[in-house]
Amino acid sequence: MSYAYLFKYIIIGDTGVGKSCLLLQFTDKRFQPVHDLTIGVEFGARMITIQNKQIKLQIWDTAGQEAFRSITRSYYRGAAGALLVYDITRRETFNHLTTWLEDARQHSNSSMVIMLIGNKCDLESRREVRREEGEAFAREHGLIFMETSAKTAANVEEAFINTAQEIFDKIQEGVFDINNEANGIKIGPQLSPSNQKSSSGNQALGTGGGCC
Amino acid sequence: RNQDQDDDYETPSILDLKMLRLKERKWLQMLNNWRYYINFKWEKIRNRCRKGIPHSLRSQAWFHLCGAHLQKNRFPNLYEELLRKNVSNDILDDICKDLHRQFPNHEMFADPNGTGQTDLYNVLKAFAAYRPTMGYCQAQAPIAAVFLMHMPAERAFWCLVALSRYYIGGYFEQNLKDIRIHGQMFVTFLKKYSPSSYHLLKRQNIEPEIYMTEWFMCIYSRSLPWPSVLRVWDMFLCEGLTILFKVGLYLVDSTLKNETTKTCPTMFETCQKLRNIPKSLVTENLLINGIKRFELKDLDLLKEHKHQMKKLQKLTKKQQQQQQPK
Repeated sequence: MSYAYLFKYIIIGDTGVGKSCLLLQFTDKRFQPVHDLTIGVEFGARMITIQNKQIKLQIWDTAGQEAFRSITRSYYRGAAGALLVYDITRRETFNHLTTWLEDARQHSNSSMVIMLIGNKCDLESRREVRREEGEAFAREHGLIFMETSAKTAANVEEAFINTAQEIFDKIQEGVFDINNEANGIKIGPQLSPSNQKSSSGNQALGTGGGCC
Repeated sequence: RNQDQDDDYETPSILDLKMLRLKERKWLQMLNNWRYYINFKWEKIRNRCRKGIPHSLRSQAWFHLCGAHLQKNRFPNLYEELLRKNVSNDILDDICKDLHRQFPNHEMFADPNGTGQTDLYNVLKAFAAYRPTMGYCQAQAPIAAVFLMHMPAERAFWCLVALSRYYIGGYFEQNLKDIRIHGQMFVTFLKKYSPSSYHLLKRQNIEPEIYMTEWFMCIYSRSLPWPSVLRVWDMFLCEGLTILFKVGLYLVDSTLKNETTKTCPTMFETCQKLRNIPKSLVTENLLINGIKRFELKDLDLLKEHKHQMKKLQKLTKKQQQQQQPK
């Protein structure tokens, strides 16, 4: 299927916060409570539409355990977006966000869009991290924030799509060098170089789309 | 997955059964004289492992092949003692989080209160107590689970110990350095044995860790049809690391050798191919015959390991020098 842009995402965060479940909910629209633990990397893809443009998301889902960090780092390269996930029912996964963020900032390109996700928001009775804390952390570090539930699918679409929207806006603003694939963005067959002029003509349209 | 796995088994004929009984007798004879065979007839054991160990004797054979029986005899009460030891809550939490994520479709591990998950907890906890410096690495869990499918918890524990001592201990270390080294070694062998796939992977900047981490760390237990997994383990426990490399070479070569940047335009498609290898390529017989052409010896591995270690040392030195002036 043809697309205008291809964005590469990575999903990072502590083990057991629901990274693989978020991916599956987004790509297959289902929740699988039992699945094999991720060792190494999993991936998925889905097409979305932003401002009438088809955008293909390629999503790399990583292993969360500390030991795997040295390997995870090689996926950061060439990612346009990252979903940094914690579990609202486990305080320690929130406490580790700083190290994850440092790692991501250090090994990725500077314009990578990072979405902070507090997952498992269906488990309100077991909540250990207040929503406001997530918002504050996001504000402090310049991230987009959302609480999701991979189980009920709440906000899952939005999390992936809003990240794409932000990347798309950045492209329109010229922040991303789309000719450098190391930035995690590829121009699709829909926008071959000859069509590209017309797309840059739409710039005014693009800048309007904020998110959250 | 279970449904698929059942389909892989064919109903044996009378002749098959006769052959099986013969095989079993041969294995029993070896197991009863294990010291003699392992010391003087290793090649015989190896050849019989390559032909596949009969199901009924696999448990015994694996336990002996990795040398776990020696350790268990030497420390007969240790497992029970380890279970009573204190292990840090962080480690126990980590273990608990993974118990329901090992072969979740396997009958044995489906129930959170069933023997499978309980035994798995005990084996991993005992191991963390046995090797406090290693603690718990997630790769231990699927390996322990495969052993548990074949033997009681105490024996599975000793097999895990043997693997960490003599086979893949480095995979359980904190920084997974060995996986990276083995990845680089794998690329060298790939260049030699499957140049076209080597070039495709290189052109798309696909680091070996992306596709081989799960293969090597789980000893293919999650990447092949079950009958093939068992055959790989039969050979791996006898011959060691070379088997991991040979199987990996076969998988990459048979999946990618005819692919080009037209069929696999980006890293994503290529990785997807490696992730979803058609079952027809990895049936027991095709796989076992397929790896024959890779004539890797322990010595080749040793040499290449040395080479890659040197390269890594040079690289870290260079990085340190670059950091110092700042």
